[in-house]
Amino acid sequence: MKKVVSVVVWAGVALSGAGALATIALQRNERISATWFVVAAVCFYLVAYRFYSAFLAAKLVALDDSRATPAERNDDGRDFVPTNKWVLFGHHFAAIAGPGPLVGPTLAAQFGYLPGTLWLIAGAAFAGCVQDFVILFCSIRRNGKSLGEMARDEVGKRGGFIAQLAVLAILIILLGVVALVVVNALKTSPWATFTLAMTIPIALLMGVYLRYLRPGRVLEASLIGLALVMFVVVAGQWVADSGSWAKVFTLSGVALAFWIIAYGFAASALPVWLLLAPRDYLSAFIKAGAIFSLAAGILIVRPEIQMPALTKFIDGTGPVFAGKIFPFCFITIACGAISGFHSLISSGTTPKMIQREGHARFIGYGAMLLESFVGVMAMVAACAMQPGVYFAINSPAGIVGATPDAVAATISGWGYHLDAQTMIDMAKAVGEQTLFNRAGGAPSLAVGMAQIFSSTIGGERLMSIWYHFAIMFEALFILTVLDAGTRVGRFMVQEMGGRVWKPFAQTSWMPSVVISSALVVGGWGYFLYQGVIDPFGGINSLWPLFGIANQLLAAVALVVATTVLLKMGRLKWIWVTLVPMVWLVTITMTASWQKIFSTNARIGFLSGANALAAQIAAGKIPAAKIVEIQRTIFNLRLDAVVTAVLAVMILTLVFEAIVRWTAILTKRSEAVMHETPYVATQWSVGAEGD
Amino acid sequence: MRGAWKKISEMARTLWMRIREWCGDAAYERYQRVAARKNGVCVITREQFYVEQAERRYSRPNRCC
Repeated sequence: MKKVVSVVVWAGVALSGAGALATIALQRNERISATWFVVAAVCFYLVAYRFYSAFLAAKLVALDDSRATPAERNDDGRDFVPTNKWVLFGHHFAAIAGPGPLVGPTLAAQFGYLPGTLWLIAGAAFAGCVQDFVILFCSIRRNGKSLGEMARDEVGKRGGFIAQLAVLAILIILLGVVALVVVNALKTSPWATFTLAMTIPIALLMGVYLRYLRPGRVLEASLIGLALVMFVVVAGQWVADSGSWAKVFTLSGVALAFWIIAYGFAASALPVWLLLAPRDYLSAFIKAGAIFSLAAGILIVRPEIQMPALTKFIDGTGPVFAGKIFPFCFITIACGAISGFHSLISSGTTPKMIQREGHARFIGYGAMLLESFVGVMAMVAACAMQPGVYFAINSPAGIVGATPDAVAATISGWGYHLDAQTMIDMAKAVGEQTLFNRAGGAPSLAVGMAQIFSSTIGGERLMSIWYHFAIMFEALFILTVLDAGTRVGRFMVQEMGGRVWKPFAQTSWMPSVVISSALVVGGWGYFLYQGVIDPFGGINSLWPLFGIANQLLAAVALVVATTVLLKMGRLKWIWVTLVPMVWLVTITMTASWQKIFSTNARIGFLSGANALAAQIAAGKIPAAKIVEIQRTIFNLRLDAVVTAVLAVMILTLVFEAIVRWTAILTKRSEAVMHETPYVATQWSVGAEGD
Repeated sequence: MRGAWKKISEMARTLWMRIREWCGDAAYERYQRVAARKNGVCVITREQFYVEQAERRYSRPNRCC
């Protein structure tokens, strides 16, 4: 009887999901409710979790609850800490969910809601969750080893080296591009700039409180910090309304870029307890609150989706970024579907805290499903606004024009009606001078969130507060990624430098700290500056570069996973990781090729540089702009070189892996596993292990 | 009625405990228990523990994109 009920319930869930998916996929002429997105995503996730992840856990990796985990074997209360599975789920989710699942889907909405939504849902279930889960399993079985260490042990020395280089490359490019998102959200906005600037003294205050006044009382300090942040969000309006203070906080893109670079350097070099750690606590609380509020807001308001299923920009002529759906939709949405960066978290803190192997399914697979849901929410928020408004916010002036009338005329000419007054009124409603030319996804997401929140609480009256709350929330946790990433990059540079000259590896030696911090900040700062001065907004060139780097890391992770599975004798199920790996290599190589060699000047870096050089040669560029254009030409050629290096790294890794797999399959090489020996758990089922 | 209240207060206590574990508020108390079990004494103070935890946490990738 129980089985019959189960079959009926799961058949109902599957049919509901299929029906909702069919509705969003086939609807063309009528607007549909966001509820369909929620039903489709949730039902798909439930079925994927119940059946596919159960298959992975039982057949592919054979999780064994009788085996002691690293947390049980090495429990020291510091690094290895057996943790309740719900608490660890929260930790893991807070670590993997950054700005990516919010910004990527917002940018990909230019293709219409359908391609991005399908990739978010299916990509997560069959690729992203699989990667996170299998890498978490591999790391648990190897005493919590990192991805780089596992790549070196299981694939070979070259694999380990590529993994380390890929991590550094992705860090540098990621930090540059997310910093650009912040700059585009804050430029010429005194309210948003003031609010974000004030989070620095608030974090410093929390740092002193947590270190000296009430050591380690994170909850108390975070509540004080939260109250102060809410106050400065409101106080930002007073600053924006006062002439003299508004001037102080009205900064150009270039000025903001230099402030953020200086902040990144300071955060990396200062003691971690003073600025970085308290800011992260604050960010984690606000992130959790804002994401759940967005989900609740969408469920309550059930906004209508205004964006069509497919826009005319599937042909590759999109104003936000150039390129066709394949491969650029899959490069633009990385986090939310599959993100290589997650493999660093799955082989970092989480495996050292997991209580039982059986929890790996819930934490590794389940947390990624939740991140995918965040991506779907971001897609809904972006597509719930009028398409004309979406394109006006996200398109650079170089494409749509610099004046409100020019923007309205260009976008209306594409078939998405927009009048200039709508944008002027909307900017006024959210307390901004302008919403034009804000490429990067953050402002349009903030407008979408503000519309949803204000429909729930406060109405039009609170629209500006909600907008600036959303901007503060996005910018706050982007800066957290920025300072934490810079510090990790600094450690990596110090470790690499230490191989050449030993004293350089001392992480507390000040000259080494300053030099390595300057190198990392200089790296991402250059990409940031390049994006800020780019006449096409920077996102067009930098976001695909970030996507390629991120998917390169995912390819590294899936190569490691496939190699381990082969060594475990799971040849029958090898497609589970092999198919996503082949897919990722295909999209990454196609995107790299197009970004370097496409003859379309908006897609290909080289043809873009050549087109600008030809304009200079033909005398079409005014003398005052020649230096700026020459710098842009240099940057485009540099981007082509960076893309080529990433592509060569992928090919080298795949070649290395194929050689290794062939040797294992033909038995020319022994399949040596590097698992820690089996130790039986001392805990009974249900024990806390504390 | 009393039984229901007891159940609710127990659930609230568990929830509060989980929140404190999630945000790191309870980390030192946990360390104290482990240290007492292993060495019989607590090796480092709450302040030292907090600084050490922060140093360790932010020396490896712990926040994704």
